[in-house]
Amino acid sequence: MSQVQAVPASPLKQRWLKWRFHLNILLILIPLGFMPKYFADARLFRGEAGLGANVINDIQVGPYTLDLAEMRDEPPRADGPAGHFKVFNASLCKACVNGVKAAYLRIGKPRSLRAAGTIFFGAPYNMGTSLPIPPRTKPDAQVWITLEGWDGSMHQASVPLAKASPATVAWLEKQGGKK
Amino acid sequence: MKHLMRTFALPLLVLAAGPALAHNPMCECEELPGAQVKCTGGFSDGSGAPGVTLDVIGYDEQVLVGGKLGDDSTLTFKRPDGEFYVLFDAGPGHVVEVDYADIAQP
Repeated sequence: MSQVQAVPASPLKQRWLKWRFHLNILLILIPLGFMPKYFADARLFRGEAGLGANVINDIQVGPYTLDLAEMRDEPPRADGPAGHFKVFNASLCKACVNGVKAAYLRIGKPRSLRAAGTIFFGAPYNMGTSLPIPPRTKPDAQVWITLEGWDGSMHQASVPLAKASPATVAWLEKQGGKK
Repeated sequence: MKHLMRTFALPLLVLAAGPALAHNPMCECEELPGAQVKCTGGFSDGSGAPGVTLDVIGYDEQVLVGGKLGDDSTLTFKRPDGEFYVLFDAGPGHVVEVDYADIAQP
């Protein structure tokens, strides 16, 4: 005759055995809470929610026009030792798409085409770039857009940083131009 | 063995899915004794930039020193007189400018 005896389970084990099924349901429910943010992000990245925040429409750059917007209405994000960056989106006008080879963004007027700033990448109707924000940027600085045409031409225009990204200007003022 | 694999499968998968890292270019310059300037280039994901072009350009757009970063991602050159800036050029739109005023004097 076998002498099997049920080992008395500890209270903790008993609770685990009793509730583990319900815990699994909870684990399914947790991701649901993140769904609204996920879908909002997906809409933003696909461009269905527009270009971004603080859109400036129809900026005339030479013969071309483009729309500029910051990705999110928020201060620049730190990227380790490389400094702080701000993501901007832009959209070229339908007629410009074939003429424009490259679009650049820079704080302050570029010294040359070589140093025109950071390049936009992606589809011409929804391009993106991350713009470095030097810590000593003046709050009244201008954001310069440089368009390089396939014909070798270069066209430039500027918009005030305060208009393109009020959150960045607020962040700069809070920093007080230090560092 | 099977049990071990089950236990570690999820943590391993989580670790394997590395976060999407941006790699913004960066460049730092410091002055060395003897009017030398040492510039170090790299990318913010931690990778170095050996062989990347680094030019020293005057405010009149004349290239004063044209060079490439060495195997240790640095370039040392004699500090030019006057106003200049260092251009770390990893390709169009992947540039970093360092103004002479931002190169710390020892």
